[in-house]
Amino acid sequence: MKIHLAQLEIQTTQDKQLLDITPEVERVVKESKVQQGMVYVLTLHTSSGILVTEGLDCLAKDVLKHLEAAAPDQGDYFHNRYLDIDGRVAFNAGAHLQSILTGYNAFFPVDQGKIIKGSRQRIFFAEFDGPLCRTYCVQVMGEGK
Amino acid sequence: MLDFHTHPLLVRELFEREPDLARIARDVFFIRNHPQPLRTFLLELDVAGLERAVVLPIDARTSRGCQICSNELIAELCRMSDRFVGFASVDPHRKSAAKDLEQAVKKLKLRGLKLSPPTQEFLPNDRKAYPIYEAAQALKIPVLFHAGMSWEPKAKCSFGQPLLLEDVAFDFPEMNLVIAHLGWPWVLESVMLALKYPNVYLDTSCLYFDNPQDFLAFALTRQVPLSAVEKSLRHKLVFGSNYPRVEIKNMAAAVRSLGLSQECLELIFAGNGRKLLGEAG
Repeated sequence: MKIHLAQLEIQTTQDKQLLDITPEVERVVKESKVQQGMVYVLTLHTSSGILVTEGLDCLAKDVLKHLEAAAPDQGDYFHNRYLDIDGRVAFNAGAHLQSILTGYNAFFPVDQGKIIKGSRQRIFFAEFDGPLCRTYCVQVMGEGK
Repeated sequence: MLDFHTHPLLVRELFEREPDLARIARDVFFIRNHPQPLRTFLLELDVAGLERAVVLPIDARTSRGCQICSNELIAELCRMSDRFVGFASVDPHRKSAAKDLEQAVKKLKLRGLKLSPPTQEFLPNDRKAYPIYEAAQALKIPVLFHAGMSWEPKAKCSFGQPLLLEDVAFDFPEMNLVIAHLGWPWVLESVMLALKYPNVYLDTSCLYFDNPQDFLAFALTRQVPLSAVEKSLRHKLVFGSNYPRVEIKNMAAAVRSLGLSQECLELIFAGNGRKLLGEAG
């Protein structure tokens, strides 16, 4: 079995943002030379997420708006306190909760070297506390040439 | 629009030039977040709607055996982007401090002085520091003092008592000084100095619990009534975030949420800082 791992950096430019990473994921699958298997996409941060939806700006706005409504940035959170592991006051519980609601990963089958996904499905990196330079993983596993 | 209080301590490009800066940022300044490319700093300014940031070093060679960013590195950062306004720092325990400041301003083109009495372990009204103030006054540069609480484990907050700055403000009336962090928890003392002395200013970089919006509302609407900011301190308060301890976007949003008039906000975000830098027309 082949196992191919890529750790990719992505520079987010907004406080909250969905960035379409489908082309990068497809590129890693192609590089892996895996023909039959799975591809996993995972963010390495707890204030960001990976989600799959349609690639429409209007929908991206709705996703971000309603995630913020479900887990507001300004709230009465126990997380609002000094954290010596960071050397600063933490006050981004809303971003963490939005990350939890979104989920930190997505996976798809790979067949004949290509991702099997719906024609409308796109893979997004979801930023909830940007702008930041972030890292996500793409791991491809399966049988290959 | 200007952020008057930032520390370039998580900038990857600076770590590449000065590898020990990562340890200093983590163990001495006590900021533990992951380093970011310089672009993130500039994007932070963009998201906050600001054009420029004052970047601050701290020369703590005697007290901590290191510079928390050297003047040379600050000057190099300013060469990477014209959106940065570089300040110098000098070690008050060194006899060459006043001369070091003069060189930093004249040769490195740095435009202000940062001193952190709790980190540098000196009393700001100690006459030993007066040659530094004489130099700053002669150079017509502002001096930004850390005041109030410090998160650094080895730093004693008593060095940050704002009242220790009264002698300095009194004895150097032509030198503008900024009391950082509103001098929290000694906010009233800091406000008193800013009200009384024409050369004393305050910056907004104040967050010790809760979140920027709630904390600043506590300090500037309950510890001090907001009307005092609007009417009496509008020319004496400059926006500062203390990035990266607080994201610029979050502190800017907190200041904008206080309920101040647009005219007052423009002074806090732009006019007062420009005046301190000698840019006001």
